[in-house]
Amino acid sequence: MMTKWTDDTLMAFADGELGAAQRADIERELAADAALRQRVTTLTMQRERVAAAFAPVLDEPVPDRLTGLLRPSSTSPTSPSTAPVVNLGERRAARERSARLPSWAQWGGLAASVLMGVLLGMQFKSSGTDAAIELRDGQWVAGGVVEQALAKQLASQPVAGAPVAVQLSFVDKAGSYCRTFSTAAMAGLACKQGERWAVQSLAAAASIPSSAVRQAASALPPAVLSAVDQRIAGDALDPVHERQARDSGWRR
Amino acid sequence: MADSSQNVRDEIAALLPRLRRFGRTLARQREDADDLVQTAVERALGRTDQWQPGTRLDSWMFRIMQNAWIDETRARERRGQTFVAEEHGEQIGVSTTDAQIDAIAVRKAVAQLGDDQRAVVGLVLVEGLPYKEAADVLGVPVGTLTSRLARAREALQAILADAEGTR
Repeated sequence: MMTKWTDDTLMAFADGELGAAQRADIERELAADAALRQRVTTLTMQRERVAAAFAPVLDEPVPDRLTGLLRPSSTSPTSPSTAPVVNLGERRAARERSARLPSWAQWGGLAASVLMGVLLGMQFKSSGTDAAIELRDGQWVAGGVVEQALAKQLASQPVAGAPVAVQLSFVDKAGSYCRTFSTAAMAGLACKQGERWAVQSLAAAASIPSSAVRQAASALPPAVLSAVDQRIAGDALDPVHERQARDSGWRR
Repeated sequence: MADSSQNVRDEIAALLPRLRRFGRTLARQREDADDLVQTAVERALGRTDQWQPGTRLDSWMFRIMQNAWIDETRARERRGQTFVAEEHGEQIGVSTTDAQIDAIAVRKAVAQLGDDQRAVVGLVLVEGLPYKEAADVLGVPVGTLTSRLARAREALQAILADAEGTR
C-alpha cells in the first residue's frame, strides 16, 4: 500500500528535521504500517552505516603538519624541548573532546529517538515475545527476555538456542557494567544504571549479517561496536570476572 | 585581540579530527584530505577576524574546506590531472572485522558519488549538521540541499546493493 508520505518527508523525519506535529503523525502511523516502517528504517540504517564508516578517522593520530599550524606561535620556534609534551597533551585532549561523543549525540537527540521508535515498532510488531526494550521514565531500558539474559547469561558460556545472545561484558568509563546483546531482530549495548539496564545503542536486524542469533562480538553491527569503543575502560571482562560480576548482581 | 585569536586557534585545533573526517568524504584519499585540511586551516588563520563568535566554527571551517576543494578540483581539471578514486592502504587482512569490511564498502560507495553529493553526505550524514546549517555551508537553498541529499542517498543505496549482489 502506498502511503501519503513522500520520500522527502520521510527523509526529513529520519534526519530529525520535521516539526513536532508532522513527526507525531508519522510516529502514529509507523505503529500500524509495516511498509512505512521499512522505508524509514532503510533511511535511518543508511545514516547510521555511513556515519560508522567514517567514524574511525576521528581516532587516527592527527599529522604533525596539521597540529603544527595551530601551535601557539610563541612556543614553537623558541622552546623545542617543551613543545612536544604540551602538544601531545593538547592533541589528545582535542581528539577526545571531538571524538568521544556517542554517534547518536552527534545526530542530536531527536534523530536518536526517531530511530529508537522505528526499531521498537519493528520489534513489537514482528515478534510474539514480550516487549524486549521499554521506555521507563523517559529512558530506554532492557525488559523481558533481554533483561533476563543481561542479568543471568554469561558471554563466556553461550546458550545454544536462547532467544538472546550476550557477546561482551565490560566496565565503562563511568565505572558501570555494560553488555552487548542480540536477538533475531536487533543488537545493542546496555549499561547497568541502578537496577536497570539502560540501552546505549541499538541497531535493527537489517545490519546483522545473519538471521541467526549471533554469539561472536565480531558479528555485531558497526554502530554497536563503535558504541562499545566509546565507552569501554580497559579490556572486556574475562570469564572469571564476568561470573563474579554476575553473581554480585552487576553492582560495583 | 591576541587572546581571542588564540582561542580560535585552539578551537580549530580541537576540530582537526572532524575536519580530517569531512576531508575524507570530499577528497577520497587520506593525503589529499589532509592537504585540503591544511589549505583550509591556513586560509582560516589568515582571516580569523571574519568568523563571528556565536556562529558555529565547525560550519565556518567546513565552508572554507568546501571552497578550497572546489578550487583544487578546478585547478586539477586545468592541469588535466585525474583523481585516483579508491583509497590506498585499505587491505582486508585476517583480523579485519565485519564492521571494518562494511566501513570500507561504504567509503568506496561514497567515493563513487559526484562532488556535490559527497559534500551533502559528509555534512549531513557524517558530520550531523542540520539541513539549514549544511545548506548555509554550501551556499544553496534548503530545497536544493534536500534534493541533493535524497539523490545521494538513492545512489548510495544502489551502489551498495550492487556491491552486495556481486559479493
